[in-house]
Amino acid sequence: MRFWITVCIGAVALLGGIGIDGAFAVKPEDNRATREKGKRIYERSCIFCHGSEGKGDGPAGWYLGRYEAPRPRDFTTESFKFRSTASGELPTDQDLFRTVTQGIPGYMPSFAGLNEEERWQVVSYIKTFNPSFKEEKPQPLPLPLPPGPPTDAGIEHGRKLYMKYGCHSCHGDNGYGDGSESLKGNLKDSRGLTISARNLTERESLKNGSTPRDIYRSVMTGLDGTPMPSFADSFAGKEKDAWDLIYYILSLSQDRR
Amino acid sequence: MVSRGQSAVLLWIALALFGLVAAVLPDDAQALPAFARKYNMNCTACHTAPPILNTFGQRFLENGYQLPGTEDGGITGKKKLGDLTLDDVNNYVSFRMVGNAVSNWNFKQQNPPGTDAGVAVNKTEFTFPESFTMFTGGTLTKNVGFMVELGYDTSTGSANVERGFVSFNNLLGHDVAHVRVGRFDVGAFYSYTTVRQQLNDVGESLAGTGPNGAACGSGTFNPCTINRMGLTPSALATKFFGLYDRTGNYLSPYASSLFNSGGEMGIDVHGRPFGDWFLYQVGVLNGANEPTGDSNKGKDVYGMVRFDYAKSRDFSASLSGFVYLGHSNAKVQTQDDVNWNRYGVSGRATYKMVDVYAAFAVDKINKTPTGVAGQFDSTATGLTVGVDTYVTSKTMVSLRYDNLDAGGMINERQSSSFVGTQVKHFLRNNIAVFVRNDFNLRKADTGSTAAQNLRNAFFSGIDVIF
Repeated sequence: MRFWITVCIGAVALLGGIGIDGAFAVKPEDNRATREKGKRIYERSCIFCHGSEGKGDGPAGWYLGRYEAPRPRDFTTESFKFRSTASGELPTDQDLFRTVTQGIPGYMPSFAGLNEEERWQVVSYIKTFNPSFKEEKPQPLPLPLPPGPPTDAGIEHGRKLYMKYGCHSCHGDNGYGDGSESLKGNLKDSRGLTISARNLTERESLKNGSTPRDIYRSVMTGLDGTPMPSFADSFAGKEKDAWDLIYYILSLSQDRR
Repeated sequence: MVSRGQSAVLLWIALALFGLVAAVLPDDAQALPAFARKYNMNCTACHTAPPILNTFGQRFLENGYQLPGTEDGGITGKKKLGDLTLDDVNNYVSFRMVGNAVSNWNFKQQNPPGTDAGVAVNKTEFTFPESFTMFTGGTLTKNVGFMVELGYDTSTGSANVERGFVSFNNLLGHDVAHVRVGRFDVGAFYSYTTVRQQLNDVGESLAGTGPNGAACGSGTFNPCTINRMGLTPSALATKFFGLYDRTGNYLSPYASSLFNSGGEMGIDVHGRPFGDWFLYQVGVLNGANEPTGDSNKGKDVYGMVRFDYAKSRDFSASLSGFVYLGHSNAKVQTQDDVNWNRYGVSGRATYKMVDVYAAFAVDKINKTPTGVAGQFDSTATGLTVGVDTYVTSKTMVSLRYDNLDAGGMINERQSSSFVGTQVKHFLRNNIAVFVRNDFNLRKADTGSTAAQNLRNAFFSGIDVIF
């Protein structure tokens, strides 16, 4: 049984590693006409949650979490959850495009129904809410391919890293999101709202994507505005350790299928 | 028959069960109905609290079950026919069970005494589920949506196609014109929507005979004695006493009707051609109380406009107005046709967790038949004002005021005023338990009509959507 679980994780990791990593598209020129078209789409599709000024204060936004997190993203702040860039930096255009395309499980639908050009137009318009996008050129962190298929020893090593770095205190010993900090209600987002740790056994619910490379990205960049920190420094020069942890996280859901 | 003491015990049992269920069930949200499953979304992306829609959900509905601003054809979750699995059916089929598990009615006296043997001063019933609904909906392809809703009413034992229509969307340009064809809820886009309320409709209790002791029902054109009035939003209700459908069935003055009916057959066009701030809707219907095949009757027509603000600061507001013109859409006791019209306005505002709404409607009968001249008030009005608000992330409190200034046969009509209160706790986003109490503001110890002698009504129930 363990063998087949490992094989499955390896297959998923391989698929994730060879490019099934969200939608990529050639970005059109970011000019006034593009932004104007993006504005029209934004006001039909996005305004109800993100608001007319991009502050995340659209009239439908409160109902997502009510008195708890999450609320829709406030594009005017520097705090973006879903990035490929270092913690504290703005997302890349590709990051924004990926979120619009894939959506956020549970909270934002995939807008793959808009064609790629329309999605890029929306990305161009979203960036106008935050002047920092004009000044900064965010660069993604390296996102390497998996070094190889998972092994039992590697997964066991990943489990030890999971405990060593304190993942269990929020996500729980078995990844159910029932860590002590979460259960006590100590986890707050940047708005001061109570936020729950993600249940890692339900991979499809992971907000920043569920492929191995998505999870790697989340661990390395952190989710700004939430208690989930970046572990880029912890794993600097320890790429294999990072992948062992990712494989262990994957095994939490694989074990339960 | 249940004694007063037994009723009190049952009520305490109901409240205890409510608390117990609320305490022991897990509080995370995993089981989600079809649209939420299809788009991998939480129910609250589209609903303030099911079944009431927020602004995003309203635009999704208007767009023929496509995401606002898109013509996606339900691209998310779309598969080729040969690739469909049983799990995929989940993305198109949902069920709703809703009803009062315990109802307690407090009458001062019956009307007329003795017509409903077994009804006492206090009456307590176990009834859940009163209504069971299966609906399937979504998109067939780009810009073609559909909805079929089958309802079963356990109190009457009847099953009906509540709604069944196909929509052709984004004709002549994005959001310019959406066309619905079939049986649909006409007031779906109105600021206060008939089929989306937190306080569920409670039907009236009819005696089966009229005040003169003669049977009432199909073909009789005889009024039914109302033992216990219904609890529905007055603005949406029929309001007239002494109206009949075209086969002679007595029309309940408390049932939702005309523009505000749950489902009518016809063609409807709506759109927002000038932007999000303005919605138009026009349509033609077979009309209220139209039996199949009654082709000699004229059609009913309607028009509605709605103005919206839904931009920022956690605030939205809408104001709607409609005109509904009926054509031979009811009869009076003399079996003469009448043209029954309605004119209505409604408004709704949401700010963060507070949802406030109001609706007012004037019903008019054009040209009262000479046979009932002087006996029939041809004007009736209904007012409904309410507020829903979450007091915690999972508990919603609702308050609603209704006033019905009834029209119709002067010797039958009974105006009424009620205040309904409800506490609804969402165990999950799709499972809720509630307790509700309705107070009669016109109760009278000596009241001899249903609108006066119903002193109080208490309900405890469950609302499950899956």
